[in-house]
Amino acid sequence: MKIARNIILLALTFAFVWPVAGQTIGDFKMNETELYAMTKQMGQFMRRFNYEEDQFGEKLNPKDPKYRNNEMRRKSLPILFDQQKYGKQTDLQRYFIEDVTKDDSTYMTFLGGRWYSEVSCTFRFNGKPVNISLILAIEKEGLGSKWVLTNVYFSDFNKLFPNGEIAEREKHFLHPMSHELDFMNIYKAFQNPEVIEYYASKEFQPDYLTLFFYEIKQGRLVFQHVDSVKFHVFQIKDWYFEVSWFDRSGLNSGWLMSNVIYMPEKEKNNLIKFYQP
Amino acid sequence: MKSKITTIMMVLLAAFITLGGTTSCKSKKRLAREAAEAEYKSKVEQAVKDLNAILDDETLWTLEEKEARVKTIKDWNLQNAEVDDLLFQVEKKLARERAQKEEEERNKQEAQSANATLERNFASIARSGSVSQANRTINETLGLFESPNVPVLIIINQSAGFNDYDRPTTIEKYLNYLKDQKISPNKVHEIKYNANGKINELELIKK
Amino acid sequence: MKKIIATLVIALCVVGSAMAQDELSYERKQAIDSLALEKVRDLSKYIKIVGSKETPFSEANRVIDRAEELFMSDAEIGVSSLGSNQITYYRVRKYFEHLMRLNYDRVEIEWYNIEYVSDLQRQPDGTYVGVITIFQTFRGYDKEGNLTYKDTTKKDITVYVKRKETQIGGRTIGFWDVLLGDMRVKETTNR
Repeated sequence: MKIARNIILLALTFAFVWPVAGQTIGDFKMNETELYAMTKQMGQFMRRFNYEEDQFGEKLNPKDPKYRNNEMRRKSLPILFDQQKYGKQTDLQRYFIEDVTKDDSTYMTFLGGRWYSEVSCTFRFNGKPVNISLILAIEKEGLGSKWVLTNVYFSDFNKLFPNGEIAEREKHFLHPMSHELDFMNIYKAFQNPEVIEYYASKEFQPDYLTLFFYEIKQGRLVFQHVDSVKFHVFQIKDWYFEVSWFDRSGLNSGWLMSNVIYMPEKEKNNLIKFYQP
Repeated sequence: MKSKITTIMMVLLAAFITLGGTTSCKSKKRLAREAAEAEYKSKVEQAVKDLNAILDDETLWTLEEKEARVKTIKDWNLQNAEVDDLLFQVEKKLARERAQKEEEERNKQEAQSANATLERNFASIARSGSVSQANRTINETLGLFESPNVPVLIIINQSAGFNDYDRPTTIEKYLNYLKDQKISPNKVHEIKYNANGKINELELIKK
Repeated sequence: MKKIIATLVIALCVVGSAMAQDELSYERKQAIDSLALEKVRDLSKYIKIVGSKETPFSEANRVIDRAEELFMSDAEIGVSSLGSNQITYYRVRKYFEHLMRLNYDRVEIEWYNIEYVSDLQRQPDGTYVGVITIFQTFRGYDKEGNLTYKDTTKKDITVYVKRKETQIGGRTIGFWDVLLGDMRVKETTNR
């Protein structure tokens, strides 16, 4: 029994040796090893993260003992980090791997929620090119699911609602007896458009998506093209990470973890509010 | 009944002569006679039972096993009218079964040779060195079909007793597909013919 | 009463079959994956035939027709090169016609052996959607045989898979209709 286990462990040790492959066409030798190594789709990132496919990209049968095997995951997870940033295995990276491969291990799932796509785009706003980030999430609907817009980041919108100083905020209000004067003082609120929101309830939160739709409908904001895509993943308990695309040669390219942060759940919930208000 | 008695008499006589020559003990002779009688009787019973079973299709024997049984019974040479009568009927029946089986085998061979012809043509189209050569084989193959629009079904998976198919195509498109892709990924699963012997439906399955 | 029971039985059968479709066995999924991959390989072959300068004009046109049949009618091909985020959009026919007219004396189009098939996800109407990734190298030569252009592209191809039924020879045939959708063609530094 023990011998069998040792053999399996030995086999696992060699699991992440990339298949060396190539083909020769005319005078050109094509090296395919790099393309095997590349995490080619975000879906492949998830499958590698969970160890649902082997190093050849072959899907594993859920009945296969290697499927979602934590020993395998410990070997495969380091290759999913951007090694230019996380080249030397840092303690943080080690703890991350330790946490996701514990007995009550956590896996990434497509329909599991709490992961977002950030699509950085160029628009024209009043004729000038501007950068806007769209936030999208997978939402279940009907027999399946779809990507939906959950928020938008456009610096011009954010500048409209700065976090003003408290002293300044405290100067702007309608006193509680204003009603008795038919709100004759309300004109003051509109004299200073930059701070109009100080007259709103403390519960007020600007809804950037509504502003965005409004500008699009007005024809002032016009889509140009997508510049880049990245993903923000909150699915793993007490951790947050970003997955970005790395177009480069070598054995560490494609969709990789570009930013891994230890983030207790409570803190995480505040951050998620930005992605899905 | 009369012939049965004659047979018994003859057997007894034979036994008597044989035994008479080797032993003088009368009781031994009687025992041997009784044994021979019993054996004969059981063989007749067995023959009647088996032959009736064959006639009524109540056996699980293959045609070959049935034929072998008939041969054994004939070899016993029982000279029994009932057995002879049954043998006559059974032989008539088995001759028809044999003919039917041979017909089926011939059909199967023909079908196999039709399968083989098609598969050979498929492979030849896929391997063609030139477009014109491939087109010649395509036209030749189309001649086996009722029309270029004969449906071609391709089974991609068989599980839990039902087939999963690819989108149905036509024979003309399929043959051109082989030419373009230069591979023949399917083998023949079933061919259906019209009254004129032309193929009017073709079912393929992934190799 | 009988009528109600009959209706219930039919309703249950319908629900049953819909559920059966929800949970495809691993083996059936694999068969569908291979079918989808086969369509992408067919496409690669068509690209090679149309790109080749040795293909007669009439053959190239016939092959473009066949290639078009692989795609949904509204599919688009979005092409971008290194160092630019600008995507040029082509309809399938235009893309192939563009390929046919490229101004080289000889071209080499080859595919790497790497083909990556995503999981199939269902969209709201129940159609399965997947993406297959393949890599291609393109080399164009002038009259003197000099290499004048080369690139390696990553092609991400949308695949739609839908369960359909049709009548053939009086039988109902259930089949998987696999159609290609939008294709993203992106130049890559990996090679």
